[in-house]
Amino acid sequence: MEIIKQFVFSFMSTIGFAVLFNSPKKSIIHAGLVGAIGWMFYYISFITMDSYVASTFFGALTVGLLGEFLARKNKKPATLYITAGIIPLVPGAGAYYTMLYLIENNFSQAATKGVETLFIAAAISMGIIISSLFSRSIKRVRQKD
Amino acid sequence: MTYLKDNEREEVKKLLVLATLAGRLMLKSGAETYRVEDTVTRICQSRKEIQYVDAFVIPTGIFISLEYKGELISYIKRVKTISINLNKIALVNEFSRNFVNSQMSIDDGIKEIKRISKINIYSNVTKALFGAIASSFFCLLFQGTKLDFISSFIVSFIVSFLINHISRLKVSFFIDKFIGSVFISILSYFLIKLGIGENLDKVIIGAIMPLVPGVAITNAIRDTMSGDFMSGLSRGMEAVFSALAIAFGVGIVLIFS
Repeated sequence: MEIIKQFVFSFMSTIGFAVLFNSPKKSIIHAGLVGAIGWMFYYISFITMDSYVASTFFGALTVGLLGEFLARKNKKPATLYITAGIIPLVPGAGAYYTMLYLIENNFSQAATKGVETLFIAAAISMGIIISSLFSRSIKRVRQKD
Repeated sequence: MTYLKDNEREEVKKLLVLATLAGRLMLKSGAETYRVEDTVTRICQSRKEIQYVDAFVIPTGIFISLEYKGELISYIKRVKTISINLNKIALVNEFSRNFVNSQMSIDDGIKEIKRISKINIYSNVTKALFGAIASSFFCLLFQGTKLDFISSFIVSFIVSFLINHISRLKVSFFIDKFIGSVFISILSYFLIKLGIGENLDKVIIGAIMPLVPGVAITNAIRDTMSGDFMSGLSRGMEAVFSALAIAFGVGIVLIFS
């Protein structure tokens, strides 16, 4: 039950962001699905591994791979799906809390939250870079054939 | 040394202008810098015998120079505001592919770019509505209750209109985000006092989600990891100061509440 709820929530918020980012109408639903499936991978691996950074990495890798797949299928740039799809994973709240703790003179909390935010952002970036490597190598193999 | 004929030079200059316009439109719509560099170079190399093109793109400007029959021509374009518009990125991408693979004239190309830059697929109301949907479902993802959901929807809907008006004045992203988050926290505070909503922090977190620089942080690190250090730094600065503006805005209201 909880998993279905999480799926719906992340799907809706990704769709909301896809419209805010002016996605073309045809790709909104796709972007929502990419975001929701990515969040599912994050959620399930968080339950099993209990690590924010590692599970964010797996979520982002899923988003990246799905985005590259849809990009190839629809002949559109992959950013269309990836930018909106990573939204549920993105550490926006973390960045906000870091700055809020700094303003409140709570430096040790700020450092903890800041490093966590940075690592989560790095994990997302790595997931996306690795997934784009995959798609590039597939392209190269196909060109050889 | 052979000198270029005037009409030839005009033609090359026009090509350069087209490439810059296309690049600027992409950059303004939030495209990655490597994609802009790639598009610009490919547009330039598609016509004439241009031996050498190089583009240097950072989020705040485009620098291109090309060599045509021994003459160097360069162009610099400053870019100020970036707001993410995925539709325009997709359209310019498609345009550059068409332009490179067909015999479209350069004037037609410039017209096409100008047409793309005016396309707006969603009205402000639709955007505010979907922004509110995004915020309120985020509030639920952060374990907010049903009442929190309703109040973050209302707050986000109202504030996105407000931010739209402020950003039209083109002051600075910092001021936009600061004022936006001040209003978000004031509205959330009053809604919770009225009994719509239970957890102030959940409502605020949901409602600030459209302002928060999550994508900017991720892109900054992505650029840095792929070796584009300048654009990584520039986007990173944007992200840090956006977060600071929001925290200032929320912090000021929370002190008084």
